[in-house]
Amino acid sequence: MAESEMAFGAGVTAPEADGLERIPAAKLALWVFLAGEIMIFGGLIACFILYRIAQGGWASDAAHVDWQIGTLNTLVLLTSSLTMILALGAARAGNHQGVKRYLALTVGLGLMFLVVKAYEYAGHFATGFTPLSGMFWSFYYTMTGLHALHVTGGIVVNSVLLAMAIRGTLWEHAERRLEVAGLYWHFVDVVWIFLFPLLYLSLKLT
Amino acid sequence: MSTQTAHDTQSFYVEIWAWLVGLLILGTVVVFLPIPKITALVAVFAIAVVKAILVVRNYMHLRAEHLVIYLIVALPVLLVIGMTLTLLLDIAFRR
Repeated sequence: MAESEMAFGAGVTAPEADGLERIPAAKLALWVFLAGEIMIFGGLIACFILYRIAQGGWASDAAHVDWQIGTLNTLVLLTSSLTMILALGAARAGNHQGVKRYLALTVGLGLMFLVVKAYEYAGHFATGFTPLSGMFWSFYYTMTGLHALHVTGGIVVNSVLLAMAIRGTLWEHAERRLEVAGLYWHFVDVVWIFLFPLLYLSLKLT
Repeated sequence: MSTQTAHDTQSFYVEIWAWLVGLLILGTVVVFLPIPKITALVAVFAIAVVKAILVVRNYMHLRAEHLVIYLIVALPVLLVIGMTLTLLLDIAFRR
């Protein structure tokens, strides 16, 4: 099977080089939105790295961040990305039950991520580490909090799609809707792929 | 989409997920290996970049997208890298 067929399904191939008008408006808009998101998270990550290089330290603060919980949450988000793309695959195959099942799993895994994150926050607050406890904690709460807000937004969107699927109103534009929602969800996953080593692992090496 | 194609596509996505989980484990184990810290640091972030590329190319289908989409993504990434490098110079001269 051709690579583009593998990604898009049989009979659906990548747009041609001059086929700009064939990019759906919603998809183009979502990519522009994601470009803005890259600047937001990229700016925060850049500031974190630059502050760390300029000031040093932070290892004692970072020692209180549990890498095992971070690893678990990374696994949860990676798995949710898989279920999201499988929901799109099911829509392309006309498998309505599959769409509902994989969307429900994606929403469930997103909620699990937030529950684990809340447990983590509660532990930090209980030991006195708040956003005002120092520069590391300010960065930690800002970056993970903003990311959690994005996860929450994704859960809301996926829940709406799931409700539409259950009510039978999703199917007319199911592929396009799931593709755009999936792009956002995978982006949230990519952001965490960088936040995890930055906040949970890298400072153990300094 | 035929049943066989749908099955192949599903297997492909699961394979990508397996790679992502393998890289997650590798990236975590590297931190605890008896190797120079700078080597481990570079490895940890290199693994993160590979994971991100796997998701963006295969789950976000960027590998089959129009050039304009590539440019939309590349511009902010280059801006962030440029901003970081420029400010790194400031830190270096301040010292």
